Amino acid sequence: MAHSTTMAGAHAATGVASAEQYNYEIIKKFAIMALIWGVLGMSVGTYIAAQLAFPFLNFDIAEISFGRFRPVHTTLVIFGFGGNALFATSYYVVQRTCQARLYSDSLATFTFWGWNISIALGVVTYMLGYTQGREYAEFVWPIDILIAVTWVVYFWVFLQTLLRRSQPHIYVANWFYMAFILATALLHIFNNLQVPVSLFSLESYSLFSGVQDAMTQWWYGHNAVGFFLTAAFLGMMYYFVPKQAGRPIYSYRLSIIHFWALVFLYMWVGAHHLHWTALPDWVSTLAATFSILLLLPSWGGMINGIMTLSGAWDKLRTDPIMLFLITALSFYGMSTFEGPMMSLKSVNALSHYTDWTVGHVHSGALGWVAMISFGSLYHLIPRLWNTKLYSLKLVYVHFFLATIGIVLYITAMWVAGIGQGLMLRAFDEYGNLAYTFVESVVFLHKPYVVRMIGGMFFVSGIVIMAYNIFMTITAARREAARAEAKIAAKMAGAAS
Amino acid sequence: MSKPTEKKGAVQTTGHAWDGDLQEYNNPLPRWWLWGFYATVVFAVVYWLMYPAWPVGNTFTKGFNTITFEVDGEERTTHWNTRALLVRDMQSSPSAVRQREFLEQIAAASYEEILTDADKLAFVRSYAHGIYGDFCAACHQVGGAGIVGLYPNLANDDWLWGGTVERIEETLIQGRLGYMPSYRETLNADQMTDVAVYVLSIAGYEGGDADAIGRGDRIFHGAEGGCFQCHNVGGVGRTSQGAPNLTNNIWQIIDVPNAADHDARVELVKSVLRNGIQRQMPAFADRLSPIEIKVLTAYVHQLGGGQ
Repeated sequence: MAHSTTMAGAHAATGVASAEQYNYEIIKKFAIMALIWGVLGMSVGTYIAAQLAFPFLNFDIAEISFGRFRPVHTTLVIFGFGGNALFATSYYVVQRTCQARLYSDSLATFTFWGWNISIALGVVTYMLGYTQGREYAEFVWPIDILIAVTWVVYFWVFLQTLLRRSQPHIYVANWFYMAFILATALLHIFNNLQVPVSLFSLESYSLFSGVQDAMTQWWYGHNAVGFFLTAAFLGMMYYFVPKQAGRPIYSYRLSIIHFWALVFLYMWVGAHHLHWTALPDWVSTLAATFSILLLLPSWGGMINGIMTLSGAWDKLRTDPIMLFLITALSFYGMSTFEGPMMSLKSVNALSHYTDWTVGHVHSGALGWVAMISFGSLYHLIPRLWNTKLYSLKLVYVHFFLATIGIVLYITAMWVAGIGQGLMLRAFDEYGNLAYTFVESVVFLHKPYVVRMIGGMFFVSGIVIMAYNIFMTITAARREAARAEAKIAAKMAGAAS
Repeated sequence: MSKPTEKKGAVQTTGHAWDGDLQEYNNPLPRWWLWGFYATVVFAVVYWLMYPAWPVGNTFTKGFNTITFEVDGEERTTHWNTRALLVRDMQSSPSAVRQREFLEQIAAASYEEILTDADKLAFVRSYAHGIYGDFCAACHQVGGAGIVGLYPNLANDDWLWGGTVERIEETLIQGRLGYMPSYRETLNADQMTDVAVYVLSIAGYEGGDADAIGRGDRIFHGAEGGCFQCHNVGGVGRTSQGAPNLTNNIWQIIDVPNAADHDARVELVKSVLRNGIQRQMPAFADRLSPIEIKVLTAYVHQLGGGQ
């Protein structure tokens, strides 16, 4: 934390220059909101995990019951934490790799308020019981419109900044961000084509019905995973991993191939959420095979990230931020292996409608999305405030709390999901179903408790991070004020 | 994995640099990665050849995989599809075959044959474990002990509506409405005490003076209370009305045996007199098939107290 004054001076000089060259203010706002929503969203998640193990914890209050808090949790962590982290890092990466200031400060500020007000409104409406009933797209139609407008402005700001670049080539991270922004606009708009009951009603009907509606929803749902939670965070990875490692990306060729394979293949696979339903069999087959085809393109990103560190593996011993980034890539590799396996119809017959799915989502969400975001934010925030992290030791603590939390969570859900799946398909020697539904619920109690404990570990981690970041920013402000006072004093001295 | 490190010097970057030091090596695609990707392509193509896969005009490629099943005794073969798969599984999977054989036996057998045949009874217990667990256990509890005050006990030999197979089956098919009127408007507190003391005396509890018991007896058997009309003379119960036997010290609504003393017992009985009882068991005729009702009837009958 302590560094010599000359160092600080030099650091400050470049920092001030960057702050003028680039729009850092907007990035700071998004970064802080990511942490605030993250702490809230993960706490809500742990609380509803506790409700599943101990149902009395909903205290018969509708607003905080599982059914309403579940979309609050997913919205806060995906769009609140993840979304704000993506806005922050994409605005940072596009400016730095294009050497261009963000296209419009006011439009960028609009994206900040549009996005965060949407999330806040979403939370309130869910708690009051207003929902579209579409997973990860529960926002009622007026909020959908606000999000759509915000997103188009985001697209415009990002695109115009890219066009104003003073670099001949577009850096790979920006391809991924661009794909994410484009695809998300498409997904959000088509999945939310609704006919409101009236202008003054929050209720609406989907434009699609029956199996088409389900298809649209899961085309959206899985590509929310593919583009929002994967492509975008790969963009994050492509900047922050080589930056933190101080080494070039492993393979440009691999990045091109896996980028195009990924964006082409993801769009086909949503229907694997609907195996063994009214969906036509051929749609099921295509979704399953395209999921298998996605395995290696997904791993391309993992290889490119992890191999970037080759020749600098010792950094894992000394740099906790690198630990976050590399562990994130490992979990990414694991869950992108698990996903295609689960998308095969025969495996899906066991895994679907069980907690295995929940565990799979969280190995991606906690292991990949959250870990890569934590690492990137730890890299980003000191640079934004032109300072150093308050405590590297606390970053280590956060890392181990988070990792233990994830391991507890996903192992508990493997046990829960596979056990549940096996119980619900077990026959006894008379050919009868061996277990009742409620017996499978009884079986779930212990894994649910372990999952809750895993969640508590994970939340304690992000709370420690929030504290660490708070102290970092406070110290940075104090430092800046002191420097300003010194300059003011000098000026006064010179004037007299 | 370590090879790139060795030849690090040999690998060129693309020559671009962003944000100061951000560069890219131009390493070739890892061999295992490339061959892995080709392998998934082969897998996908094989899968497409075997199963319904690609839309073509108004139809789709059917795949080479087939499913053979029976329709009205005739064999039929179609391309692989989930509906045919379900039909074939229900026709010929080992579990389905075994279950069907047993169910046919059960359907053909009388209740007496079911209840006296160890094999059939074992099947009934196994089959009902599932349907009793899904449809009945939420109220009557696993094992059938019920909950005092809420749901009747099915595991003892005290029956509100009768414990013969015919009556149990009827209960399942049409449901039951359990009703006792409230005496709040009819009897005053003293009269209720008298009735309570009498009811406790026929259940074998001592306490209360002989006069009170006598007064209670007269209300019970007279026009004032009219209790005997449902509970029968002497309180032995009447299954046609769902009115319990009051003399056997088995209590459905109040926990008399565990009450602290006689005063507490009197208060418990008086609470029933004041509030009356309204309970309903839903009809299952539309929710369960005849064979399911038959299995459940036999199952409930053998839980402990079938007559």
